[in-house]
Amino acid sequence: MFNMPVMNEQVHEYAIVTKALNREFKVRLKAEGLLASVRNFFSPASKTVNAVNDLELQINRGDIVGFLGPNGAGKTTTLKMLSGLLVPTSGSIEVLGYTPFNRDHAFLKSISLVMGQKQNLWWDLPPVETFAIHRQIYGLTDAEYKSRIDELIAMLEIADCLETQTRKLSLGQRMRCELAVSLLHQPQILFLDEPTIGLDIIMQKKIRSFLLDYHRRFNPTILLTSHYMDDVAALAQRVIVIDHGNKVYDGHLTDLTNKLHPEKIISVLLNDGEFVCKLEDGCRLIHHEGQHYRFMVSRNRVPELAARLYATGNIADLTIEDPPLEDLIGQLFTPDSQSR
Amino acid sequence: MNMAMFKADGKFAVLIAYFKIILTYRAMMLIHAIRLLLLPLVLASAWLSIEKTASNPYSDSDYLLYYLLVPVIMNLTDSRVVFKFSQAVKDGSLNRELLKPFPPLMSYLLESLANNALQLLYLVPFTLVFWLFVRDRVLLGHLKPSLLLFFVVAIIIGTLARLVVSGSIALLSFWIEDVTTLNLILNGGIWALLGGMIVPVATFPENIRHIAELLPYRYMLSFPIEIFSGRLSNSEIYIGFATATFWIILFAIIMHIIWKSGLKTYTAYGG
Repeated sequence: MFNMPVMNEQVHEYAIVTKALNREFKVRLKAEGLLASVRNFFSPASKTVNAVNDLELQINRGDIVGFLGPNGAGKTTTLKMLSGLLVPTSGSIEVLGYTPFNRDHAFLKSISLVMGQKQNLWWDLPPVETFAIHRQIYGLTDAEYKSRIDELIAMLEIADCLETQTRKLSLGQRMRCELAVSLLHQPQILFLDEPTIGLDIIMQKKIRSFLLDYHRRFNPTILLTSHYMDDVAALAQRVIVIDHGNKVYDGHLTDLTNKLHPEKIISVLLNDGEFVCKLEDGCRLIHHEGQHYRFMVSRNRVPELAARLYATGNIADLTIEDPPLEDLIGQLFTPDSQSR
Repeated sequence: MNMAMFKADGKFAVLIAYFKIILTYRAMMLIHAIRLLLLPLVLASAWLSIEKTASNPYSDSDYLLYYLLVPVIMNLTDSRVVFKFSQAVKDGSLNRELLKPFPPLMSYLLESLANNALQLLYLVPFTLVFWLFVRDRVLLGHLKPSLLLFFVVAIIIGTLARLVVSGSIALLSFWIEDVTTLNLILNGGIWALLGGMIVPVATFPENIRHIAELLPYRYMLSFPIEIFSGRLSNSEIYIGFATATFWIILFAIIMHIIWKSGLKTYTAYGG
């Protein structure tokens, strides 16, 4: 049975609180072949899948939190429960003091969920028509509507596509218009499910930069899922990693990278000649092409090695970076990662 | 709910949006109008060409008036809710309705109403043209304001009755993958038979007519036309209104129960 949340002052400090949140789905099973189909007709087989398992979340107001995990980890299911689309199997959720699946209008006016590029836009009408309908539904005054829409049009650079039928817009234009309509009522919480999926790199950067700018100005709580780790690295101070419905990490992104990979990559471009420095413990060459070298170095040895490299006087360029986030997160979901 | 509230909470804006969308699909509207006209035309031809028995209360003139009005009433009480809602549950587009501070089923209702209203752009001229051809054989001398008022009320009641029956079938989409076949049986075949599409209800054998008068289908099509034709007394009209209202309330309650229960099982597939 679903337990109603206990309202108390501590809970209200957070934008989102979940306790022992579970969601099960019944999945139909069918083996291959005609005989299996006939058997299944008389006796349908199914299994219960725990999409979300005892999830405990506490998210502060105004935070940007990255929600990471492989496909089927339970990220979208969680977002759908937090936005009121799905009823939990058990556990409690409180979002801005509301129980989401009760779908109070005051709650729905305080949130936005962006999933793909046609969640909120009317497919057969130009975006400007969707904005006008949205304004009526959310009860915005003329002044609020005018100032917000002008600001969003400028920030998202969508002035040129407002009167084009939505179905005829490019993916990037649609995504930006989708964001505009989702933010028109200035939600206190923004759920973003793969906001940059399918977009080219330039458009991904534009969306990220817009979201950062928007957050700086209006300070909404943002919960973001993305397969593009650049999105997460650029936007989220905190990440929550789930796998098979279980939370496996909750903390700062930098702590996660330090924990998973206690090394950094130093890339060096020499002016001329070859690299003659002796490699010591905690430092190994991982790539070499012409005058370009890449070393994997223990974090505690990075300053020392960088200083030694500069001391040679033969450095045209030197960069220090973390290993790709995709690789790090991938490590979390490998079988031997459970011991970490 | 007054007009100001209707405008203020976005319902009017959504209705107008559907008008705009439907108007962009002119060819589809025309095909739909032809569909609505074709079968009644065939049925009228069939009923006019056969010899009437002495027990048949309908004359050729009655059949002509009846089938002239069938496409218009069919359209006005029509509901696209089943098709649209089951699609929305399957592809997850119901999600967008559930996330708005707006009654989720209202959007489907307004779309249906907009479609029915705009379909009149084709149906009314077609009906008038047919009427011009047969006007000498169609008797309208009995029409008076009170009868027209009853006629309008009967159409509204018929629309509501079809809406709640269709809505109840539509909401079963939460559990049944494809409700269109069920809809074809309950809201198609049985409706066409007991609603008076194939045969006017007044011409049914007495026993079957009594059953038809108790069920909701007659009120979705035949009843308003019977009123317009001047075939019903005031008491028969009031009994008809009461019977239809009973079904509307019953199915509205059923819809409410299914909706509450269905949302708990809704899996919100896709975006």
